[in-house]
Amino acid sequence: MGPLAPNEIISENTNFLLAFFIGIAFGWVLESSGFSSSRKLAGIFYGYDAVVLKVFFTGAITCMLGLLFMSLFGWVDLDLIYVNPTYLTSAIIGGVVMGAGFIMGGFCPGTSFCGAAIGKIDGMVFVAGLFLGVYGFAFTYPLWEKMYMAKYLGEPKVSEKLGMSDGLFGLLMILAAIGMFMVAEWAERKFPREEY
Amino acid sequence: MKPLKLLAFFIIPLGIIIAAVPPDRVRHFRLTADELLQEAGAGVQFVSPDAVADMLVQKDPSLRLIDVRTPEEYDSFHMENAINIPLSSLLSDEYTDILNQDAYMNIFYSNGSVYANQAWMITRQLGYENNFVLEGGLNYWFGNILSPQAPSQTSPNEEFAKYDFRKSAAAALGGGNIVTTEGSATAVRAAKPPVTSKAKKKPSGGC
Repeated sequence: MGPLAPNEIISENTNFLLAFFIGIAFGWVLESSGFSSSRKLAGIFYGYDAVVLKVFFTGAITCMLGLLFMSLFGWVDLDLIYVNPTYLTSAIIGGVVMGAGFIMGGFCPGTSFCGAAIGKIDGMVFVAGLFLGVYGFAFTYPLWEKMYMAKYLGEPKVSEKLGMSDGLFGLLMILAAIGMFMVAEWAERKFPREEY
Repeated sequence: MKPLKLLAFFIIPLGIIIAAVPPDRVRHFRLTADELLQEAGAGVQFVSPDAVADMLVQKDPSLRLIDVRTPEEYDSFHMENAINIPLSSLLSDEYTDILNQDAYMNIFYSNGSVYANQAWMITRQLGYENNFVLEGGLNYWFGNILSPQAPSQTSPNEEFAKYDFRKSAAAALGGGNIVTTEGSATAVRAAKPPVTSKAKKKPSGGC
């Protein structure tokens, strides 16, 4: 059965249409959870607001559980799911750059569009910066190519590397998430902020 | 109840369940016995020898003949461009890509149609598509396609049309001249099944 597009149950175009609607829903959820405020995202780094961590981690473990159960029921073929190829060097550098950008800008790419959509000037500036970065990278790509392609690891899965089943790793992930949420809630009580 | 406790209450048991079940070994699209019986009863797996002869003459690139007899039988005679997958090694991993695909029309044949039918039934049960059976097998193929009998004078026109087609097909396919390796210096090399890499279409995407 699934995944729908690689198995050609739905066409590529239908896939894009669905992605469009899911994208709108995603933006709506972001906005209604208050993610269009850059203080919300910055809050995770200062400890006064862990909503971002909770929302995205809950999203990730829900998705993970959903896929594992759908695979168990034979509804989706996990071999056909797209896994981002890992280029270790660029993953680390990219992570640092993105993280620094998150703290400084107070937005992630998704929330910056949310902010821009409701007319926030900082959101628009962030989007402009995002495009500058994208074009800047694209036009100077030959300079980076070697570093960008370095340490290619294929499409490894943590569970495979650790030699455990996907399900067991899923359970550990859930426990880790719950633990993190507890720490985050403790931090929220410890570093409260009145108005933001 | 606090949201975090509520979340933990639901999600940890689900995690335990998924950690406890064995990893997915389910073959998807497996047919039920009922569905298989229905398909076998309707004879959807059969391809008529005339259709196969036509495809061979037209050199239809989507046609792939699969000889399910033993390698010895295959070596002594096989149909043009046929590959050999003995019934006993049908489930071997190296043939999965050949049997489970959607680019070719695989046609199994054996001397009669029993072994070919068994091969079809096994692959169908695994959920593979595009596998068929040469109706009547090699015996019918020899008797009727490669050496067609002229119909009697009183036969309907269709019989004559069929005969004409078979006669020309037999000429094109070298009827009567059996490809044999026995005692022949120019032995026809057994065609190896093509080794195809899994060409699974992956979606591109990212964050």
